[in-house]
Amino acid sequence: MTGTQAPPAADAASDAHDSRGVPGRQVREKLDGATAPAIAVAVTSYSIHLPADGRFGAAAADLPPVDPACPSDRAHTLLGRKGLLYKEPATRLALCAVHRALGLPDGARPDTTLDPGTAIVAASNLGNVATVVDVTRAVVREGSRGVSPMAAPNASSNVIASSIALWFRLGGPNLMVCSGETAGLDALALGALLLRARRADRVLVVGAEPDDETAVAVRRGPAAADAAPPMRAGAACVVLEPVARAATPLATVTVGSTVRRREDVPPWPARVVVGPGHLDPASAWGDCYGAQGVLQTALAARLVAEGAGSVAVLCGGDEDGWRTALLTPATTNGRQP
Amino acid sequence: MATVIAASSLRTCFGDGARTFAALLDGRSGVGALRHPLTGQLNVTAGYQIDEPAPGATLRAGTWLRECVDEALTRAAIDPARSRVVALVGTGLRELAAVEELALTGTATTLSRLHFGPAVRDAAPGLAEVVTIANACSAGGHALALAQDLIETGEADAVVVGAADTMTASMLAMIGKVTPTPTTRIRPFDRDRTGVLLGEGAAALVVVGEDRTGPAVGRLLATGLSCDAVHETAPDVDGISRAMRDAWSRAGRSPEEVDLVVAHGTGTALNDPTECAALLRCLPRPGAPLVTAVKGAVGHLSGAAALANLDVALRCLASGVVPPVVGLVNPLSEGDGLTFVRDARARRGITLAQVNAFGFGGVNAVTLVEAL
Repeated sequence: MTGTQAPPAADAASDAHDSRGVPGRQVREKLDGATAPAIAVAVTSYSIHLPADGRFGAAAADLPPVDPACPSDRAHTLLGRKGLLYKEPATRLALCAVHRALGLPDGARPDTTLDPGTAIVAASNLGNVATVVDVTRAVVREGSRGVSPMAAPNASSNVIASSIALWFRLGGPNLMVCSGETAGLDALALGALLLRARRADRVLVVGAEPDDETAVAVRRGPAAADAAPPMRAGAACVVLEPVARAATPLATVTVGSTVRRREDVPPWPARVVVGPGHLDPASAWGDCYGAQGVLQTALAARLVAEGAGSVAVLCGGDEDGWRTALLTPATTNGRQP
Repeated sequence: MATVIAASSLRTCFGDGARTFAALLDGRSGVGALRHPLTGQLNVTAGYQIDEPAPGATLRAGTWLRECVDEALTRAAIDPARSRVVALVGTGLRELAAVEELALTGTATTLSRLHFGPAVRDAAPGLAEVVTIANACSAGGHALALAQDLIETGEADAVVVGAADTMTASMLAMIGKVTPTPTTRIRPFDRDRTGVLLGEGAAALVVVGEDRTGPAVGRLLATGLSCDAVHETAPDVDGISRAMRDAWSRAGRSPEEVDLVVAHGTGTALNDPTECAALLRCLPRPGAPLVTAVKGAVGHLSGAAALANLDVALRCLASGVVPPVVGLVNPLSEGDGLTFVRDARARRGITLAQVNAFGFGGVNAVTLVEAL
């Protein structure tokens, strides 16, 4: 449960499915956006990276088992030791989720050339709030001399997205989504948009949140609502590619518009729904907040790939609204000409 | 489908967009003594701040954003209840100043105010889809790129592109940490530049398809995006050049056509020479366009910097007048071959402008905008 061993088949690796090699392709020629057909988007790989947490049982009714992954302070077992020293827990977990989704071997940082055709869309609301508060406390205590310049990258809210780009040498568009409860599906929507707008030929959508004291305090806010599931540190990754160039698509994906109220969510075109009130990983595994929509999409991709038919994803809340995604089975002849 | 900017709204230390442009043309600087609860402990003594709400009040960025969104939607004559409108808000530091209250007072503010959905909906209650993109100092440029994508793919009828930033103690501390002596003003592209200072501000504009009739202030040709993937904080000439070339390629235009560059120009040791190198590399006639920069006057607006540059570019296109780089006396040698506007405003017919924005983490956005 501590993640010290290289994960066996039943570990987090079993919840990662890779259908592609490592980065290294060139961005495609720009086509005429006005006349080109709309690009359908496929999920081609995914990972769910949830470190062990005694507050949550490993097994939950109706949910497939996701065995514990390495915690952020053991991230080097997956990523290799060099370069992790000043990385925050959420950044480490995000790197782990990407490492898994790309199907890379344990313990080694990939040595690749720059891939300008792969974009990153990360989702996290609270990844760097601990650093922000810690730095402020240090200033209060001892002025700027109490601050380490090594923390500088973490003071910028896009540190997760840019760290992934730097680590895996991915030079495509790099976005950090911080829009609250819908952030995970907002990121998925923007990832699909980057493909449709021909800004990338592969997009890694990554969600990550920590569960440190500051993150929990901010998540709870001044008015503590005890009914909500507790926060859990975790990350997930979904790899998107145009259906037409996906070698082995696991599912095709579309993302709906945001609606303000839950009752405005359109009827489900799927029997299985992943989200609050349905098959709900947050109630069983804990609340990953900004990462939740990505985690739910990864879970949905797994269910579709295992033969569940179409699976819908519902993500959001009363503060930020509700967003949906639909994953449908990718047929072997589903590739577009 | 080409896209049009229906309206643009700006808030800086000088006030609205018109006041800001007037101050720029006069060569004024809005720098002043830093007002922050931790002033004296930050090794930062100056900034470009907005008076209302006063520094120290909570959720100031959201307040300015709400005003800008309200103004832009009104001028664009867009009703979110009657067409498909999406809002994309770029920010560097979100409302993290409110989270820092945890360190100062022990209490956190309302969680959903950390991002900007509530602020936008205060101005446009019917607007359901508000996505906050925290993309450092090029956040507004990234939001602009995605806005054009949403229009061109037919996924929205109009997109409100917002951006807002105020100062955080944590970022001020980092700036204080890297300067031995506190900087007193930003001097973009000057050989004696001493580093960056934060400004405060917000901006909003409305992007629509070219087929829509109604108000318009400029044609949005394209925004190119790239990520350096080279260094956590230092800029990279290759990464920046990729964004510039992406912009020209997506626009289907030649960089020979550029009349004006509104540069990122942070006045730091690294940004300015790197930006000059990228311009010299990517522009076939680098001496032809005028180059200006606004941060010496309004400070570094972080996530709002790209949209502030764009508002200024639109006013240059409309007026044929280009403000000087406030703070620039002796251009850096790495800028030899570029035509900086210095000392006084320049008058010239401007048809096509390039707007640069580069951020921490090597995130680059280069926007091309054309006169109608």
